Amino acid sequence: MIKVKQTKIDEEKFMEMRKQTLALWPKASKEIDLDEAVAYQQSLPEDKSFVKVLQKYSAEGKMGLFPRQGTPIVENEIELLQSLNSVGVRLFPFTTDSYTRNLQLDKAQAGLEESIKTGKAKLNGYPLINHGVKTNRRVIESCAGAMDPRCSQKANSLVGEYAFASGMTAMPASFFGWIAGYDKKATVEECIDTAQYLGRLMGYYAEQGVIISSDLHGWLPNGVVPTYVNVATQIIEALTAAHQGCKSVHPQANFQGNYVQDIAEVRLFRKIFRKYLDKYGFQDVLIPGIIASQSPLYAFPQDVGTAYGYICYIANLAATAGVDACSVKTIDEAIGVPSIESHIQTYRAANWIFEVVRSQKIEVNNKDIDLEVAMAEKAIDAIMDKVYELGDGDITHGTIKAVATGVLDSPFSINIHAQDKVLGVRDLSGACRLIEFGNLPLPEDVKDFHREKVAAREKAEGRKMDYYVSIDDFWAISKGRLLGTRN
Amino acid sequence: MDKITIITGTVGVDAHVIGTKIISRVLRDEGFNVVELGAQTPPEEFISAAQETAADAIFMSSLYGMAEMDLQGFKEKCLEAGLDDLLLYIGGILGVMRHDFNDDEEKFKKLGFDRVYPPETDVKVAIADLKNDLKVKGGKV
Repeated sequence: MIKVKQTKIDEEKFMEMRKQTLALWPKASKEIDLDEAVAYQQSLPEDKSFVKVLQKYSAEGKMGLFPRQGTPIVENEIELLQSLNSVGVRLFPFTTDSYTRNLQLDKAQAGLEESIKTGKAKLNGYPLINHGVKTNRRVIESCAGAMDPRCSQKANSLVGEYAFASGMTAMPASFFGWIAGYDKKATVEECIDTAQYLGRLMGYYAEQGVIISSDLHGWLPNGVVPTYVNVATQIIEALTAAHQGCKSVHPQANFQGNYVQDIAEVRLFRKIFRKYLDKYGFQDVLIPGIIASQSPLYAFPQDVGTAYGYICYIANLAATAGVDACSVKTIDEAIGVPSIESHIQTYRAANWIFEVVRSQKIEVNNKDIDLEVAMAEKAIDAIMDKVYELGDGDITHGTIKAVATGVLDSPFSINIHAQDKVLGVRDLSGACRLIEFGNLPLPEDVKDFHREKVAAREKAEGRKMDYYVSIDDFWAISKGRLLGTRN
Repeated sequence: MDKITIITGTVGVDAHVIGTKIISRVLRDEGFNVVELGAQTPPEEFISAAQETAADAIFMSSLYGMAEMDLQGFKEKCLEAGLDDLLLYIGGILGVMRHDFNDDEEKFKKLGFDRVYPPETDVKVAIADLKNDLKVKGGKV
């Protein structure tokens, strides 16, 4: 029996839910007063508003950097943020450490104390709850720019409460991100329930005139697959948050590395999110901009030169595609959490490309891009129709049933409830194609398009396109290629 | 001859699941009996799974840099559980900041691991090592 529904949680019930959330950490109810938090948010300058910063990039035709960062010791975090300011960063995804994400706050505390004692980061992010509202505000006020924390399902509601009370102005109400990459056991319903809490909290702030934007991540393409399911699930996340009163969403184009396909994706983004938000009555939900992300899950080159090559390639692709901000990894990605110097050098390189490419205002007209846009739109519309059909008009019900039946599916996900029946390889041009469709409700002409492209590579390489080719392609990027080869 | 049983997974609250999924599939295709615990597996679960299945080895993957904290006392707990012959292999990103792999190797060997691998090691290398290590122990190969 499914308990969640798409309709907005009423305020009285929500305030009860909030009490339970704040009870998860002894200091929370003392530190967080919603009215005071709203007043604090209203007092912040425009450069702390994620929506305003992203809209400004978009209006000026410029591009922002959107680099993951977060380190446990406060002084080091402030130094890092100020250093990133010096290379122009104004949008900050804020990484919380893995203990915080999993609500193991005692371990986060021990890791924080050990970090302070040794002067070395023993946590892989910033323990946002343990530091508390006052310290978080000091960190946020120490630099220019808007903050957007990262968390997983288990701690999301409490991290959201702390983040917004501390002056952060964006966060992912992105439950497919958890299903793809963060939460092993949470059910889809639990994930939706948690995302609705955050959407509702954003809704509360929005009612008081504070617009907090939700990142859309969707079901991240952990392997070599086209992003149809990723985009459909971003749309689902947008609609789910909008139902709860969230008034701004910013989609994320997850670059898989093929020029034509990735540019096509951004082009499709320009219309498809607006199309679905309007269709279901959310004309007032803003889309302040589109952020591109260097597809996060391929093995990253370990040597500095190859890493630069990959980063600069993505920067170039993002600039050509015309996104408003881009998240690139750093040259240290393959080794661990990056040093300040690695951040700086990496973003100087990316900024150079953003400026020079964007200043040329290149219009790319290409029939292959048009074809990719058409195929993707058909595929995504078919998936969305099926989800609504399964849910009898309720997006949350449809989503739960769609994951259970593999109508929504993607390979190599962490969550045990995913079907994991879908698989892809690259075609000869490096575009991602499906070799196993699983139960995705794709139109037959879309499937045929993929079959033809896969057959062409089979013929050219004289080998069957199977699981092992998919893995070869997965490792290829770190070796400076798109197509994997068998050793 | 009995099949060799290997436990796979990522330790602690590490969510990086892709590597352990690929390792599990390759090991299975190579004829091993694989007990796939998946991502975010507490250290104790590795030990109880090894006891229940009389496993020969654990292949742990780790990318989030905090395995060292998760694995304090792990070898001792294995010994307490009577798993004296259990081989412990770990590979991945084993520290938080940029660091030398030799330090990782030393650190995890001290923690009682038999083999330590840098990121992107082909699992076939570990399989060859495993066969060798089992031979030395005089067990099944």
